[in-house]
Amino acid sequence: MINEVELMQQFQKEFPESQARIKRERRIEVLLPAGRLYEFAVRIQKKLNFQHLSAISCVDWIDDGEYELVYHFWSYELNVLVDAKIRIDRENPHFETITDLWQPAKFFERDIHEMFGVVFEGNEDLERYILTEWKGPPPMRKDFVSRDFAHRFYHYKDYEPQWLTEMQQHSSGGQDE
Amino acid sequence: MSEKLTQRKAWDIVLDKLTKRSLWMLHYCTGCGAIELPPTMTSRYDMERFGISAMVTPRQADILLITGYLSVKTLQRVILTYEQMQAPKYVIGFGSCTINGGMYWNSYATIKSLDQYLPVELYIAGCMPRPEAIISSFTELIDRIGRGEANSWQDYYDNYDFYKKNQEHVFGEINTYVDIKDDKVKFGI
Ligand code: SF4
Repeated sequence: MINEVELMQQFQKEFPESQARIKRERRIEVLLPAGRLYEFAVRIQKKLNFQHLSAISCVDWIDDGEYELVYHFWSYELNVLVDAKIRIDRENPHFETITDLWQPAKFFERDIHEMFGVVFEGNEDLERYILTEWKGPPPMRKDFVSRDFAHRFYHYKDYEPQWLTEMQQHSSGGQDE
Repeated sequence: MSEKLTQRKAWDIVLDKLTKRSLWMLHYCTGCGAIELPPTMTSRYDMERFGISAMVTPRQADILLITGYLSVKTLQRVILTYEQMQAPKYVIGFGSCTINGGMYWNSYATIKSLDQYLPVELYIAGCMPRPEAIISSFTELIDRIGRGEANSWQDYYDNYDFYKKNQEHVFGEINTYVDIKDDKVKFGI
């Protein structure tokens, strides 16, 4: 059975444009160009027998103008977790689906579409899932300010009764600075 | 209020006296504060002392207890449930979340103030309220019913447009299968 060092070396050999490193024991991180992700997923599933896609997550790097998609692959045989990371443009976020390789990706991609607005081409079911009546922009984007939206959209009552103000004046109550 | 009381029919007064001794509670438990209900309902605090017991269906329930935050999605279910209940019916907002959003005051997904969408009879402040607070709200409710003052549910029939407007603002139109305005005329509420 190969260990993570050999696995990492294999990735580097087969995907020379990627950067692979061992984050810690049994955890490998691979930074890939977006175009190679599908190929990487095929390779890791078919050749190396990583049966389990445990999650796809999305990170909003607003200062770079990019989204980062993180694919977590797990192998029950090697007990190794591989994080494959790619970056896509934040303004018009599109990426290809991997639902034909892993069925559970349907749900993860739908979730990311709802929360970040990423369109996964080839995934035919990107309907709303949790926020079925949502009218605003995708709420997990860093430039979405939840508080402003909540105050505008819902009936919000400020609550500053006399006794509270008095109490705050008499004690520090964590309001010092 | 006092004028209204004198106009109340004798039968209503008798009915109030009877109703207050037998209240069935439907508890909507998606909020975390619901964890305080088991001790309230079981032998530790035993709310059956007050003639209050749990009911499994909205059609036979008197109290609708909303235990905490409601998202836009769950609010719809609560409204469906509420409209199925038969009057007189009493909504109790349980916990800070129902009053002004509580710790979800800046969340994009939860409503802030339950009384914008349903007529609330009583609020219980606290995050989460202890069983003693729940029981004190129940006794308060019982007293109010006995005095014939627990009439907030009528507001839903009188000011339906206000509630409907707020409901539609957050989730658009839904079919609740109950025609409130029709009921108001038909049953003379
Ligand atoms: S008031 Fe507190 S305990 Fe109740 S639902 Fe809100 S956060 Fe939870």
